[in-house]
Amino acid sequence: MTGYQKFLPEGIPETHRPFWDSLKERAVKVQRCDGCGAFRYIPKDICPKCHSQQATWTPISGRGEVYTYTVVRRAPTPAYQADAPYVLAHVTMAEGFRMIASLSGIDPESVRIGMPVQIAYTDVTPDWTLFTFEPAS
Amino acid sequence: MGRFSEVAVAGVYQTKQGDLSDRTQPSVWWESVCGACADAGIDVGDIDGLIGEGPQGVGLRETMPAPGLAEQLGHPVRFHARNTVGAGATASGLNLAAYAISHGLAEVVVIANAVAGKASGYASANRDEAVAAMAKLSGPYEYVYGTTRVSDYATLAMRHMHDYGTTSEQLAEIAVAQRHGATLHPLSVHGHRGELTVEDVVSSRLVADPLHLLDCCSINQGGGAVIVTSAANAASIGRHAPIVLLGYGEGHSHIDPNAVERLTEFPAARSAADTAFGLAGVRREEIDVAGIGDHFTIGVLMGLEDAGFCAKGEGGPFVEKGGTAIGGRLPTNTSGGFLSFSHAGLCGIFTLIELVEQLRHEAGARQVQGARLGFLNAVGGAQQAHSAAILGRA
Repeated sequence: MTGYQKFLPEGIPETHRPFWDSLKERAVKVQRCDGCGAFRYIPKDICPKCHSQQATWTPISGRGEVYTYTVVRRAPTPAYQADAPYVLAHVTMAEGFRMIASLSGIDPESVRIGMPVQIAYTDVTPDWTLFTFEPAS
Repeated sequence: MGRFSEVAVAGVYQTKQGDLSDRTQPSVWWESVCGACADAGIDVGDIDGLIGEGPQGVGLRETMPAPGLAEQLGHPVRFHARNTVGAGATASGLNLAAYAISHGLAEVVVIANAVAGKASGYASANRDEAVAAMAKLSGPYEYVYGTTRVSDYATLAMRHMHDYGTTSEQLAEIAVAQRHGATLHPLSVHGHRGELTVEDVVSSRLVADPLHLLDCCSINQGGGAVIVTSAANAASIGRHAPIVLLGYGEGHSHIDPNAVERLTEFPAARSAADTAFGLAGVRREEIDVAGIGDHFTIGVLMGLEDAGFCAKGEGGPFVEKGGTAIGGRLPTNTSGGFLSFSHAGLCGIFTLIELVEQLRHEAGARQVQGARLGFLNAVGGAQQAHSAAILGRA
């Protein structure tokens, strides 16, 4: 049973499961291409840089800085609206690629491009853990 | 010349826009098509080509609209192609129509868009339902966080402001200019609300920072169609100045927002425009009127930059002081665009129709004096797919 009313991930292929499993383990892992070393996020079966189909799920620092963001005041559904205003951030990770997630633990008015953030984890249902961002400690 | 200048938009038509929930999609589609044929002076029975969607059905009737249209017309349809690039479908549809006509595959091709009835999902007349359905277009790695179509563009705007000093007031200028056009168009959804000021826009509530309510298009229903035929055929009918497709280009760059280097600059939009201008043999400064995908004001500003009408980062100053208004340096979306005319389904068709009316010199009070060359940039998604067309008065 879950009272969670927000969108849960749908249509996640088996090959992407290690990412979501790593969130449950609170130790995010991202594909790193065996062919060229590039990180692949979101998960991809084929490397956009070298077309290798091999990759290794690799721990990342979980740290980065805000590349851009928005404060959502009109949310897609009532469950999200209950959290509004909330911050969505595109973050340039220390490893050089960007990830998108909500940014919590900060007054939305205080968010700035360039501010350091880190990954946090939220168990939203017994089956699903999401990563979010929070201000870096 | 190449094949492009041999093909013309001969007829256009737009239905009432707004809430058409008491009608059906096939009814609005058919009204649009018959209206465009009447405008062209072409019998609807002469249609032998279809781009995109036809009168909607389910099952095979959805996956294969051309046989359904053929049944309705009473004769075979000779050409059908689909181009699923969202609101960008119109410019790419023109290119496909040009292909069919210039290769002898069809003589009269229709491109139509119709949204009506009690549809579910993002075609719904229920705004909340449509917003929720569109939110999930971005995929699970984004939608789980409550992203929306607005937030997708808001993040672009936020970074553009950071990098180039673009202001909310500059974005507002675009909405103000387009609303003025809408007040001069009897079919516009928002023209009856009257003129806007920059202050009205920046004091409207924030939807997703830095985009205000009046930086965003609404969601509504409506229909529109264009009839494409050979320029020779259009000229011999002689109802209107034939508006020819002079050049066309596409650019598809990425699907994940994190797969492009910067969210302030989309090289695919530039390459689409470069291809279109190159094939047309037209320079940017020759363009008299433009139509640029305007789901949000920032889309117009970035579209002007990426299409090369100003340098990257100079979109803000470009749109200031009515830069995109009728009578401004580059009148853009002069019917009001998605923001103030209509945002229904594959709404790029309305942008195209306005360009055609401008180039025919039939835009009435909205007329850009002496307009001979138009630029159309149709956008799919959040700047992921671009198609650009150059249109000209033959």
